[in-house]
Amino acid sequence: MAKALKINPRDNVAVLLTDAKAGEAVEVITDSGVLHLDARGDIAFGHKIALGNLTAHQPIIKYGEEIAKAQTAIEAGDWIHLHNVYCLRGHENQE
Amino acid sequence: MKTFQGYRRSQGLPGARNAVAVIPSVFCANTVARRIAEHVAGAIAFCHPVGCSQVGQDLELTARGLKGLGKHPNFYGAVVVGLGCERFRARELAESIAAAGKPVEMLVIQEEGDTLRAIEKGITFASRLAEEASRQTRETFPLSELCLGLKCGGTDATSGLAANPTLGWVTDRICETGGRAIFTEVTELIGAEQILAGRAVNPRVAGEIVTTIDNMEKRLSRATAGADVQHHSALISPGNEEGGVTSVVEKALGGIYKAGTGPVSGVVGYGEYPSGPGLYLLDCVGHDGEAVTGLVVSGCQAVVFTTGRGTPTGFPGVPVIKITGNRTTYERMKFNLDFNAGGIVEGTPIAEVGAELLEKVLRIGSGEPSRAELLGHDELFCITRI
Repeated sequence: MAKALKINPRDNVAVLLTDAKAGEAVEVITDSGVLHLDARGDIAFGHKIALGNLTAHQPIIKYGEEIAKAQTAIEAGDWIHLHNVYCLRGHENQE
Repeated sequence: MKTFQGYRRSQGLPGARNAVAVIPSVFCANTVARRIAEHVAGAIAFCHPVGCSQVGQDLELTARGLKGLGKHPNFYGAVVVGLGCERFRARELAESIAAAGKPVEMLVIQEEGDTLRAIEKGITFASRLAEEASRQTRETFPLSELCLGLKCGGTDATSGLAANPTLGWVTDRICETGGRAIFTEVTELIGAEQILAGRAVNPRVAGEIVTTIDNMEKRLSRATAGADVQHHSALISPGNEEGGVTSVVEKALGGIYKAGTGPVSGVVGYGEYPSGPGLYLLDCVGHDGEAVTGLVVSGCQAVVFTTGRGTPTGFPGVPVIKITGNRTTYERMKFNLDFNAGGIVEGTPIAEVGAELLEKVLRIGSGEPSRAELLGHDELFCITRI
């Protein structure tokens, strides 16, 4: 089983502490106990897994703060990275 | 009480090392400076590409940087080498170092005659200073006499989980006891401005923090705006992305852990030393060389550098202590890394790992060589420009 850590209670993503294979069960350590979900694709150590479903433009929360927004609909268990989120900070045409 | 063994200075904080700095005021004097240092054990040349054909703020950054370097506590004294016709005059540099109470000598190549005569005179100066330095012995100083630089580079997801929180624990202990710590990398603080402003000691400092980060964000926005540079507009590196860091904000939020949890006492400009104890933000970019140089020229006697991907770099005369929270990186790059904070990922309490890191910092501050020093890494001296 793969392992992940939810850093802040407000987060909607967790950080993988091991590699996870597509379909593999992931045990997520949180402040309030352990969650279980399945990885919907290969996710490498250190990368992020969605803890719930998100619609496009919803904030991605890590460390209790918004780090980016969803580019598309995201499902629980999805790998979250550059392919499905965006962040306009430090670029022109900020929202 | 936590202590370290340092070299007493006539002004300011003690040194963690006791070298002689050979500083060209202009790049035209680089080879002469380097050859002087090559001939004298305990001398270090600080070659750089600036000092002439600059104006205004750009020249001012060079001047502040080299002055901050010249009066740095880790140097017993300095030999300043000028060419003679440069904009940043050797005399201005030498006088500012002397005003900081340090032994300083100056030579100007065009006045000496030629390279050979300049080198000969420089060797005489540097040897005398090195001889004087060798007579000094280390004395015991409390932790409150330490100014620690905080830096990260080659960030991956473990930086925010393990290495930076470990360093943050050390930062809190140093600042609680009346010591100093400085963090910077303003290009990588975007998104963390409100959190940091909320930690400011007063509203004026809060405003300075927000303005400093906002100015840097505007500068980045301008730099990344053109359609022709979109393939070079990412604010974080490919290695950060491969390591699981998705955005500059995620990097910032993970990065500020190294600044601990205590109040931010102020913002310091490039080449400016903190006026008192506490945690300070230095206004400088995140480039490893420019940022570490910035920390040094603001008086940090040592720098702790957290890394996830692993990096070998060092700064001449100032220990740069490498720590990682990534066990794989630690195993792969063992000889470049001073400290493994990876236990936190597996559940070791942060206070335990933090206390070990603090001991390591104090040992290295007392003379134990950092890995970068052992290996002769010296690539981080890099004067910033606008």
